[in-house]
Amino acid sequence: MTNAIVWTVAILTVLGLLLAMVLYLVASKFRVEEDPRIDEVEKVMPGANCGGCGFAGCRAFAQNCVETGNLEKNFCPVGGNATMEKVAAILGIEAVAKAPSVAVVRCNGSCANRPQTNEYDGLRSCRVKAALYSGDTGCAFGCLGCGDCVAACSFGAISMDPETGLPVVDQELCTGCGSCAAACPKKVIEIRPKGPRNMRVFVSCLNRDKGPAAKKACSAACIGCGICAKTCTHGAITVENNIAYIDPAKCKLCRECEALCPTGAIHSVNFPKPLDKEAVKARVAERNRKAREAAAAAAAEAKAAAEAVPSAAAPAPAASTTEKKEE
Amino acid sequence: MKTFRIGGVHPHDSKISRNCATEVLPLPQTVYISMAQHLGAPAVPCVAVGDKVKAGQIIAEPAPRALSAYVHSSVSGTVKSIAPRKDISGNSMTHIEIAVEGDEWAEGIDLTPELVTAIPSDRAETLRKIQMGGVVGLGGATFPAHIKLNPPAGSKAECLILNGAECEPFLTSDNRIMIERSREIVVGAAIMQMVLGGCPCRIGIEENKPEAIAAMRSAVRELAYPDIEVVVLKKKYPQGGEKQLINAVMGREVGSGQLPISAGAVVQNVATSLAVYEAVQKSKPLVTNTMTITGDCLPVERQHNYLFRIGIPLSWIAEYAGGVPEGAAKIVSGGPMMGKAISNLDACTVKGTSSLLYLSAKTTKRVDSSACIRCGRCAQACPMGLEPFLLNKLTINKMLDELEANAVQDCISCGSCQFSCPAGIPLLDNINMSKGQVLGIIRARAAAARAAAEAAKANQK
Repeated sequence: MTNAIVWTVAILTVLGLLLAMVLYLVASKFRVEEDPRIDEVEKVMPGANCGGCGFAGCRAFAQNCVETGNLEKNFCPVGGNATMEKVAAILGIEAVAKAPSVAVVRCNGSCANRPQTNEYDGLRSCRVKAALYSGDTGCAFGCLGCGDCVAACSFGAISMDPETGLPVVDQELCTGCGSCAAACPKKVIEIRPKGPRNMRVFVSCLNRDKGPAAKKACSAACIGCGICAKTCTHGAITVENNIAYIDPAKCKLCRECEALCPTGAIHSVNFPKPLDKEAVKARVAERNRKAREAAAAAAAEAKAAAEAVPSAAAPAPAASTTEKKEE
Repeated sequence: MKTFRIGGVHPHDSKISRNCATEVLPLPQTVYISMAQHLGAPAVPCVAVGDKVKAGQIIAEPAPRALSAYVHSSVSGTVKSIAPRKDISGNSMTHIEIAVEGDEWAEGIDLTPELVTAIPSDRAETLRKIQMGGVVGLGGATFPAHIKLNPPAGSKAECLILNGAECEPFLTSDNRIMIERSREIVVGAAIMQMVLGGCPCRIGIEENKPEAIAAMRSAVRELAYPDIEVVVLKKKYPQGGEKQLINAVMGREVGSGQLPISAGAVVQNVATSLAVYEAVQKSKPLVTNTMTITGDCLPVERQHNYLFRIGIPLSWIAEYAGGVPEGAAKIVSGGPMMGKAISNLDACTVKGTSSLLYLSAKTTKRVDSSACIRCGRCAQACPMGLEPFLLNKLTINKMLDELEANAVQDCISCGSCQFSCPAGIPLLDNINMSKGQVLGIIRARAAAARAAAEAAKANQK
C-alpha cells in the first residue's frame, strides 16, 4: 500500500518536471516579442472595456497608443486627462488635454409636456420602436422612452425617471464614453463638454418641425423662433431646420437665451444661483433699446451729413444707380 | 392544387367584406398628395402654390438619377401648399395640398367604360405610357412597374405571374376587382405579356375566392389572348409573397439575394394589371385604387370596398364610412399580418393603400412572452427556410456576422414565425431590426467595392 503511494507520487513528480521543461522550452522558442509598454499602459487604464475610445477594449487601445506613439487621436473618455497623463508618462510624450465630457439628454418631452397620442404594445426597445414608427406622441424626434441607453451604459450612470419617462444621467458616474449616444436611434443624447465648474447651457429639444407643429406636439419644444440666436452676444447659437443649437465652445454661460426662450427649451445645469428671468429680460431690453437709439442716431447723423453736402454730391448716387442697372 | 413548398401558416381568412361591391368614394374638400408613394426616392413637385391643376395632371416628377415615379393630381383644383405632413407612421414627408374644385380631368384621358381590347405593338411606347402613368406595384411594395417590366439585358422573362392570391386575412379589394373588372385585368395582362416579349401568363388565385376564379376564367376565355391561364392555389399564407408565388405557380426557387427575374419570372399584382390597362389603353394615370374598410369589430353592414382617389385623409374616409367603431384597439393599414398600425389617422391615402382595418383588443394585443422552448414551429412556418429562433437569439446578442451567415437578409417579414410561436416571442420585431442593419452593411460593402473598382479603373487609365 505505502509502496503504491510512493510510486504514484514519484511518477507524477517526474512527469510534472518533464512537462514543465517542455513548456519552458516551447515558451522560450516561440516567444512573441511584444512591446512591454503595452502591458504598462493597459495597467493604468480604467479596465471597463466600454469601447468609448473607439477600440474593442482597453488592451486594444493600449496597443494602438504604443504603436502609433501619438495621443492626439487616442483618448480614453472614461479615465480622462488623469489617465492620459499617466499613459503619456509611460510613452514619454506630451499628453493632449481634453475637456471632460458628459452625456446630455436633449429632450424634455416628459409625460406632462408631450401628450401621448397612441399606445405602443410592441417590444420594449427603442431601436425596434423607431423601426416601426415615429413614437407614441406627436413628436417624431424625441425620446422613445424604452431605455436602450440605460442598457448600453456600462457604468450604471443612466436611469429612466418613471415620472417624466425620460432618461436621467448621473453626472458623477457618467464618463462621457458615448455608448448611450450610439445606442439611441433618435440621437437624443449628445456628448458635451462638462463646462467650467460643470455649468452648461443647452437646448433640450431636437424637434425639426415648424413652430406651430412642434408646439402642438410638445409644450417644451424648441419652435425655432430664433430669439436666442438674436440675443446671444457671443455668436454661440445657430438655428437650423427649426432647431437651435448652442455651441459649447463659444457659450459664455450668460444664460440670457434661457431667460428669453418662450417655451423653456433651453436648460442650464449646476449654476449656483437660480436664474432671475425678469432681471435678465430687463437687461436685454435695455441693451436693445440703447442699440436702437444708437442706430437711429447714426442714421440721423448720416442723413444730416448727406443734406449738409451741397448738390455737387447729388450726381454721385445717381451715377451709381445707373451702373447697377447696367450690371 | 398548387402551393409553395416550404413553410406557411393558416390564419383564419376573415374575408367578411367579400360580397361588398366596390363603391366610388366621393371627394373631400381638400386632398394631400404625398411625394413618397413608391419604393425609392420621393418625387419632386413640379407645380407651384396657386397653380390650377386638373385630375390626372402630372404634379411631381421622378427624382433624377434614382428609383422614383411620377405622381399625378387625383382631383381638379388649386394647389394650396407644398409642405411637410405626417404619414401613417408619423414621419414627415412633402405633400401637395390641393383644394378640390369640381371634377375636371386632364385632356386625352378616356373616362368611358368601353373596353379597349386591341393590344399595342410598340414596346418602348407602351413602357413609356406605363412610366408616365405613374404605375407602381400595388401588391404592397409599390415598386415602379416600368422598371420591373423591363428586365435587364441578359435576362429573359419566361413567365408573367399575376398575383391574385390576396393571402392576407380580411382584405377583399383584389377579390372585388377580379370579379368586377376581370376583363380589364386580362387586357392589362396581355399588354404586359407583349412588353415582356410574348411570355406565357399565369394568374394565381387562392381557392377561397371562387367567384373571382370563375370571373377571371370566363374573361380569359372570352378575350382569348394567347397563353393566359388561371391557376387555382391552395389557401396558405404568405402565398402572395413574390418568391412564394413563383414557387407555387412555376415550381422554381429564387436564389438567396436574387431577383425573381433570375428564375425567369415577373410578378405583378392584379390591381397593377388594372392600372397598366388604364394607363396604356385609356391614358389614365394611377390616381385611384381600391381599398377595404373592414375588421373584426366592424359590423358586417358597415364594411365596404371603396374605389378611392389618392390623397384623401384616412380620418375623412373613416368618418364617411360611419366613424371608428367601438372596440377598435388598433387601426391597421394593410393586412393584419404585414400591415402597419396607423399612429396618425390624419395621414392620406397613397397609391398602395389597401385597407382600413379595425381590429379589436382580443385579436391584436400581444401576449406576454415566455422563454423559447425550442419547439421549432417558427422554423417550420418560415416560408424562406430560415430559423427564426436562431436569428432572434443572434439579434439579442448583436452577432451581425452570424446573422448574415444565417441569411437574415432573406427574411420577407411575413410574420409567420411570430404568428406560430406558442411562447409569444416577438421574433419578427427583432429580426426586422437586424435585417435592416445587415442590409445596410451589405449595401455599404457593395458601394465600397464599386468605388474601389472605379478607382482601380481610373488608375489604369
